[in-house]
Amino acid sequence: MDTLVSRYSRPAFVDREYTAEDQEDAYQATPSLSLQFALPPVSQASSWLRAMTDDHSNPSCPIKIAHGTTTLAFRFQGGIIVATDSRATAGNWIASQTVKKVIEINSCLLGTMAGGAADCQYWLAYLGMQCRLHELRHKRRITVAAASKILANLVYAYKGMGLSMGTMCAGVTPQEGPALYYIDSDGTRLSGNLFCVGSGQTFAYGVLDAEYRYDLTEQEALELGSRSILAATHRDAFSGGFINLYHVKEDGWVKHGFNDTNPIFWKTKLEKGEFSNVTAELD
Amino acid sequence: MASGYDRALSVFSPDGHVFQVEYALEAVKRGTCAVGVKGQDIVVLGCEKRSAMKLQDTRITPSKICLVDNHVALAFAGLHADARILVDKARLEAQSHRLTVEDPVSIEYITKYIAGVQQRYTQSGGVRPFGISTLIVGFDKNDKTPFLYQTEPSGIYSAWKANAIGRSSKTVREFLERNHKPDMNREDTIKLTVKSLLEVVQTGAKNIEIAIMAPGKPVEMLADDAIEKYVESIDTEKQEEAANRRPGRAPGSGTAAILTRQSGEGSGA
Amino acid sequence: MEVLLGITGKDFTIMASSKAAMRGATILKATDDKTRELNKQTLMAFSGEAGDTVQFAEYIQANIQLYSMRNDTHLGPPAVASFVRGELARSLRSRRPYTVNLLLGGFDSITEKPSLYWIDYLASCVPLPYAAHGYAQYYCLSILDKHHHPDIDLETGMKILRMCTDELRRRLPVDFKGIAVKIITRDGIREEEYTDDHVVRSA
Repeated sequence: MDTLVSRYSRPAFVDREYTAEDQEDAYQATPSLSLQFALPPVSQASSWLRAMTDDHSNPSCPIKIAHGTTTLAFRFQGGIIVATDSRATAGNWIASQTVKKVIEINSCLLGTMAGGAADCQYWLAYLGMQCRLHELRHKRRITVAAASKILANLVYAYKGMGLSMGTMCAGVTPQEGPALYYIDSDGTRLSGNLFCVGSGQTFAYGVLDAEYRYDLTEQEALELGSRSILAATHRDAFSGGFINLYHVKEDGWVKHGFNDTNPIFWKTKLEKGEFSNVTAELD
Repeated sequence: MASGYDRALSVFSPDGHVFQVEYALEAVKRGTCAVGVKGQDIVVLGCEKRSAMKLQDTRITPSKICLVDNHVALAFAGLHADARILVDKARLEAQSHRLTVEDPVSIEYITKYIAGVQQRYTQSGGVRPFGISTLIVGFDKNDKTPFLYQTEPSGIYSAWKANAIGRSSKTVREFLERNHKPDMNREDTIKLTVKSLLEVVQTGAKNIEIAIMAPGKPVEMLADDAIEKYVESIDTEKQEEAANRRPGRAPGSGTAAILTRQSGEGSGA
Repeated sequence: MEVLLGITGKDFTIMASSKAAMRGATILKATDDKTRELNKQTLMAFSGEAGDTVQFAEYIQANIQLYSMRNDTHLGPPAVASFVRGELARSLRSRRPYTVNLLLGGFDSITEKPSLYWIDYLASCVPLPYAAHGYAQYYCLSILDKHHHPDIDLETGMKILRMCTDELRRRLPVDFKGIAVKIITRDGIREEEYTDDHVVRSA
């Protein structure tokens, strides 16, 4: 009897044999490229987020996501020009006029932010980390193709869960030369010569497309980039502030100023006679 | 001698050995020999093929040289069944790498991955190390420099100009040390590979397998009759040399290019 | 308004896809390639939800190539089609299915015949002599019904394709920036130069 009791009252033995997968997880030498990310404790994170942030249907929604931007980047003979405005808006409120929308991933890679400011800042910082790890593991700098793909795969993993970002990755590597990629939170990833992203994109495209050539000189390219942003800040209510201008070359990027649009606008108007719909005289 | 320290895998013996890993190395030494040789812009893998039984279908019996990706070839020595698993993991990683960063794996990366898997199996519970060493060869994308790496059951990996693993690998390695020259052309590289294998393969061409990799090209498995030609030319060379040496009793250092060992010896290391 | 077209003939399959990548009211890229090579003799063209398309196509591509690598042999077009359909059907019953429409063009080196499969996001899979996805179906299928024969040569195939693209340029309300044409034969997949700059007259 005793033996019987002891046989059945023995605590259930938990067979802690590790499966192959368990071990792979436990000992994975390289962490996977997609992070585990804390989600709000609700059943449907995406619809909850939509309800909390949609100020179209609910003007008093508790979270107002910073939106509205103009960013552009284009490839030309001398590298890549990256230009952005600097305004952050939350609903009709201008939250900041001095946002840095160009994110310096490393000395040769730039990212731009449009859409949710937090999403862009967080994930581009994460991308910077992954790029550095890639560099350490592979003993050479990451290609722009690979960096952009890390970001695209990542946002794709969160597709439909409320991420909002439209970014461009620009960089020069020995393998690719100057390379430019567009990535958005749908999971789209495109390589190309010229992209404009944000609420002011159409205005920027208008100016940029008309005068864009691949064989632009450096001076012309910088001028065109900054003029395109100016056009967008003038017409798009959600773009404005300063023009943030970068030039990416073989040996890394160079910053070409963070300049207030206001004096630039008046200079452009008064010296070149553009923006003739705005009157300068008082009468 | 092991007194229990070789039972659970992830247990050190008091003097710092992990016995199971060392036993795995023994399994490698029992495996047929594999050789890798780098030339100037080529890299060659050679393998000793176990003699087939009479009814065995050699046409479709799996080879010891396998492709990990279009630009990476791998040869192993040790347990075939273990190799299959390891190669499969490597192939999956190679495709996964293409999928996530859009570039094919570099040879160093895949070597490190394979060595990483091997290492993992020396530190986990309930598993046994891979009983294989591998030679990994290939070319990186847009790069004409040949690569040759070796991995071991412990998870060590190392780069080589020429190396051998498996049965009698010490003999072959010593032969390679004596005869390897930098910047060999295609013919010389293949010939050296065949020659070094003949050190331990008695039965000649029919028990040798050769794979050649060149930058940007698919792997080339040398046909049997092509290998036969190399073997023949090596044989005649040897005979000529022997004939030259006999009359004058030249001092040993003279043309000591090929010092063929007696068979059955070796498997030291 | 993405255009996907596939036409088989005597010893070839023509695959055509529009070159515009659109997002909202903007054409982001005018040289987009909506196809992926799965192996030497099968090509997959895709359209549908942004992001899903490329992710699904590259996932399939990697798996087909892994199969070739593991087994040292290529899957033929019918096997590829079954695999793709199976993956799509599996995804359809998951929490977030891929919304992707596909055309799978190939050349079967065993039967020595061209092949074309029409697959939609609900994982229907039909082998067809000619096929289209999206609005292109409404314009092009009637043209193909009238002019296509199973034993046409490549020249005739390209002529029929020209009729299709001309009609699309005439009637489709948006500019799809021309099409990229790829041809699959027993020798593999090649890209075909396809100029699209002539004037298309409307009645």
